[in-house]
Amino acid sequence: MPLAGSLDIRPLVPGSPEVVLDDDRVLRLNEVDILQVLYEVRVADRESLVPPALNPTIPPVVSFLIYRAKESEFGPFALAQVRLTARSGVRPRAYLVSARCDNPELSALLARSWGFRVTPGEVSLQRFHDRVDCTVSEPRGTVGNGGGSSPGRSILEVSLVDPVPVTGHDVQYPPGMHLARLERDGVWVPRIVQVDSEYEFRRADRGRPSLNSFDPAAWGDDRLVTDIAVSASFAACDMTIANVRYICNPDIPAAEGTEKVSDK
Amino acid sequence: MEFGLFMELSVPRPWTPDSERQVYENALEQVRLADELGFDYIWAVEHHFLEEYSHCSGPDIFLAAAATMTKRIRVGHGVVACVPQYQSPIRVAERAAVLDIISGGRLELGTGRSATWPELSGFGANPDDTKKTWDEFVRVIPKMWMQERFAWNGRMFSMPERAILPKPLQKPHPPMWVAVTSPGTEIDAADRGLGCLGLSPGGFADSEKKVLNYRKHIETCDPVGAFVNDKVLTVNFLSCCEDADLGRRNGLKVASMFSYMAAQLLSAKEVLPTHSYPSEGLLPALRRESGSPGDAAKAFKGVTMGTPDDVYEAIAAWENVGFDGINFIHQFMEVVPQQYVLDSMRLFAEEVMPRFKTRDGTARGGASRRVPATAGAGMS
Repeated sequence: MPLAGSLDIRPLVPGSPEVVLDDDRVLRLNEVDILQVLYEVRVADRESLVPPALNPTIPPVVSFLIYRAKESEFGPFALAQVRLTARSGVRPRAYLVSARCDNPELSALLARSWGFRVTPGEVSLQRFHDRVDCTVSEPRGTVGNGGGSSPGRSILEVSLVDPVPVTGHDVQYPPGMHLARLERDGVWVPRIVQVDSEYEFRRADRGRPSLNSFDPAAWGDDRLVTDIAVSASFAACDMTIANVRYICNPDIPAAEGTEKVSDK
Repeated sequence: MEFGLFMELSVPRPWTPDSERQVYENALEQVRLADELGFDYIWAVEHHFLEEYSHCSGPDIFLAAAATMTKRIRVGHGVVACVPQYQSPIRVAERAAVLDIISGGRLELGTGRSATWPELSGFGANPDDTKKTWDEFVRVIPKMWMQERFAWNGRMFSMPERAILPKPLQKPHPPMWVAVTSPGTEIDAADRGLGCLGLSPGGFADSEKKVLNYRKHIETCDPVGAFVNDKVLTVNFLSCCEDADLGRRNGLKVASMFSYMAAQLLSAKEVLPTHSYPSEGLLPALRRESGSPGDAAKAFKGVTMGTPDDVYEAIAAWENVGFDGINFIHQFMEVVPQQYVLDSMRLFAEEVMPRFKTRDGTARGGASRRVPATAGAGMS
């Protein structure tokens, strides 16, 4: 039978963002650089990586997904996400484990409107002729978040090496599934928010993935031990994070627990 | 129209020491019955590492058993992965020839290249290369069968002169097919004079376009073998029952389970940006069309489920699209009882199949369309 998620979400719910749905809330981001690096995850109990609403994939794959823009309505920002490939029913999705962002104003909006589980972090994305490097570190000048990390300590170093051009059609970013809380009849209840984005690609490359360091505890799940490399891609695009259209109950299969919250 | 069965040999958890044996036994019972009932083909897939979804990693061995217990049904060895990390083309030619001998000349060879990340990465194959390796496999295999000794110096595969043995019973060689899932592969099949083994049902309009494209291109093909196989088969789910609701319900059980299980497998395209896999192939097509489990309203058009009349009408529609036959997925993950599967096959053979066959049991509207290759074409 299809594998079903069995992640115990109870410890995660109190720290989940409180989301206020707004049909008009879309976020347009221009000239965004996106690095995505994928690795298989070696874990004995793969079902326990994602909530019961979702299904794990065979094999489970962790996605390091980094956005960087030099300008936005909130100023420059870089956002790094750790996601896991998953399925909502039969549809490809990515479950957000957590994210780090260097822009507090944008972080607040992402959490409030789309349920990004995001905490401060120093995120660097650098493009060279022959590689793209990303480093994520605990923020300096504040107490680190998760795993007792110390300020400035690196928690992720990934790269794409030897890029070659591909088309935007070749690159895929499945919609995110974010564990959050929504108000229902005056009570904040756990829900998974589906985050859909659209992309207009200017260029896309793929290359060899390289993972120099990854501290899974700092991202909220110390079981994410990476195995073989899968792929790396880089894209330059304009993107839009759409208003939330679907949410689902994290405790029951998405095929039964999905609710449409907007027709837009 | 010709009719076949696709055997995935899926084994649901929880696994017991007997689970796989039971699935294989059920499948062989279906094969025996299919032969008695007049089905044209039995196909056994080749998959590796796809837990539950398919435990059919040694299809030639399964088919050898099937061949010895049947008399007339064609034995479809396909889709064989034409990826050198899985197996050398020499081994494909050798084992297929053995199967042709054991079956008394009933072998059909289906070729393909795998589409899932767990399989390709499990063998360390580069997804960028699979189209190239497939192309070379299909060109050398018929030569290996026909030439007394064979040597090759290719781009993806080379070998010194050797006698590749045994030779198949069918002369000049068994028919060859290509699994068609990605857009454009039907043209690859046509250009090489190979049969089109459709694995993605799609809609009527898309399918018609594909068939027309195939027919157009095969007119001017440069066959890789000694003859052209210009048949086009599609795939569907079979559930035939006098009780329409039960027939549809059981058919949708199979289709939905297939969709869910297929969806869990990471496709190469999903995780690797590559031109080599321009679409995600069969699996997403089916899951898009099948919708959620139990949601009959979302079943794709033309499903061969329901009463014999329902099934007849659906098949007639596919015949109008231009297909020469349909291979059925009639069981998956043992979601319907074996007795139901056998009864469904019997009812289909009694009530539906005759409407598409002539009195002597051949396909209505035409005989095998295996056209000799023109002199000098392909084989040298």
